Amino acid sequence: MTNDRIWKLLARQLSGEASLTELEELERLRTLSPKQEKAVDDVADWWLHNPAADTEFLEATYLAHLERMKDKGCHLNEQKGELANDREIKDASITSTGVLTSFNIKRLLIAAILLAGLALSWVLLKPGQGSQVAVSISKPAEVATLNGARSKILLPDGTNVWLNSGSKITYNRDLDTSSIREVYLSGEAFFDVVKNAKRPFVIHTAKMDVKVLGTRFNVKAYDDDQTTETSLIKGSVEVSLKNNPGRKYLLKPNQKLVLSNDLPLKAAKGMATVALPEVATNLVEIKPLTYLQGTETDIESSWTKNLLSFEDEAFIEVAKKMERWYDVSIEFKNKRWEDKFLNGSFEKESLEQALKALKYTTGFDYKIDHNKITIY
Amino acid sequence: MSFLHNNNSDSKVSELQYQVAVYEDETAYKSLFFHLFPSLQNFAFSITRSRVLAEEIASDLLLDVWTRRKKLLEIDNLKLYLFVGAKHAAIHKLKQENKFARFSLDDLQVEFISDYVNPDVSAELHEMQEKIARAVKDLPPSCQLIYKLAKEDRLKYKEIAHLLDLSVKTIDHQLSIALKKIANALHYPNPKKNGS
Repeated sequence: MTNDRIWKLLARQLSGEASLTELEELERLRTLSPKQEKAVDDVADWWLHNPAADTEFLEATYLAHLERMKDKGCHLNEQKGELANDREIKDASITSTGVLTSFNIKRLLIAAILLAGLALSWVLLKPGQGSQVAVSISKPAEVATLNGARSKILLPDGTNVWLNSGSKITYNRDLDTSSIREVYLSGEAFFDVVKNAKRPFVIHTAKMDVKVLGTRFNVKAYDDDQTTETSLIKGSVEVSLKNNPGRKYLLKPNQKLVLSNDLPLKAAKGMATVALPEVATNLVEIKPLTYLQGTETDIESSWTKNLLSFEDEAFIEVAKKMERWYDVSIEFKNKRWEDKFLNGSFEKESLEQALKALKYTTGFDYKIDHNKITIY
Repeated sequence: MSFLHNNNSDSKVSELQYQVAVYEDETAYKSLFFHLFPSLQNFAFSITRSRVLAEEIASDLLLDVWTRRKKLLEIDNLKLYLFVGAKHAAIHKLKQENKFARFSLDDLQVEFISDYVNPDVSAELHEMQEKIARAVKDLPPSCQLIYKLAKEDRLKYKEIAHLLDLSVKTIDHQLSIALKKIANALHYPNPKKNGS
């Protein structure tokens, strides 16, 4: 009566174990019949509906637990007073050790400790794909990836998020109950948002906000990129710009909105700063998605399938992608390569293999010195 | 799969773990207790079938978290570590009571947080919850437990597999069975003996 495969895929989706290909397959199977669709939606609703914790009961249990601890000679509450001081001392000793602020040091410490913990899982992974850091100090939850690493997150409301290299996503803990589901993104992420018409999902980036009701799309908002982009695979999203919030852009599937950042062109690469003319700043374009030749894979979200791909992109932009993907820095000794348009798609290739392939089609030369690549 | 999974409940545990270890933060410890105690108690109960023993086990494990806070950061996955601890403690208690007792995945009494039906919900939702509860209770105990660990405790497939000494493939399969039965209970109400 019902297809078994669909339940396997749904369980994977709900547990945050599904790959993007599996999510797409699930979507195809789900929409085969209205009855099937209803069954899948009901089971998903049920899964995501978890009764709120009974705090009164927990408070009482916690008190009983503290009593037990006391009986075993462990007095918890009485240490409160000295604790606060202790923390200040620790923070003070941290700040005095260097020029970094205590906040940064704390982040580094947490990163170091978590990385140490992750070391074991790290060695099992291929180079360039390992390590992630979940850092969070204050209330909101924060997940960040380093260059060379990518990560997948299941948000409390059931939304699946793929986080690309060098990116950070922040959200409030009450995401599963708040009236608006809000997340903050810097860098690039792909979202598969759980439908909930009553509680819209909003992604804030430095330059644009994206409002959705339940859909699948990619947001690319790296500070050092020339553009901020939203690419829609399925559903519908509404994009508004931070400096012109009144104007809303509604995207259809297979469209992307490209906003040119008013970043001085090439300034990041140490060239003389050339401010763009007024008109060129804040240029908004709506374009179709680009597909990898002869496939159904769109370039925009191909990274979630572990593909580093680009089609007719300037080398300088490709270099930024490669820097994040392989965790290296790339410098152009010969500037004429910067504007050369490149096509390519790499899956398991190492940095060296990728560079070699590009070299053959383009004709540049390169040198690799540890993590520094020079193009000449 | 080359994406590292990070589910939110884990990052919350690691954050609290850090606060307890580095700052000896009592508020963080309390949050950790609120976050993990019900799961650990439920899990211990499914093996011991004794509320008193289950509470004792969960309480002891969390007591250790505080007394050994200095070494807490050495634990890579605290949540899984405590679940494994709860399993061993529960089996140990079981054997203390009856030396012939054996731990078996086919002999469990699985309890669900969602069993406690909120009286405030609508009649429609209430009816749906009852249907699902009945369907779940009809599943084999091991399947119930896997479903409970994935849904309510938000453990990952790999973690459940590790905890129960099963393969990830089994977890994958058992969960699909659970979801299928739930769907059938909701949408194909004619009780057929063997589901679909």
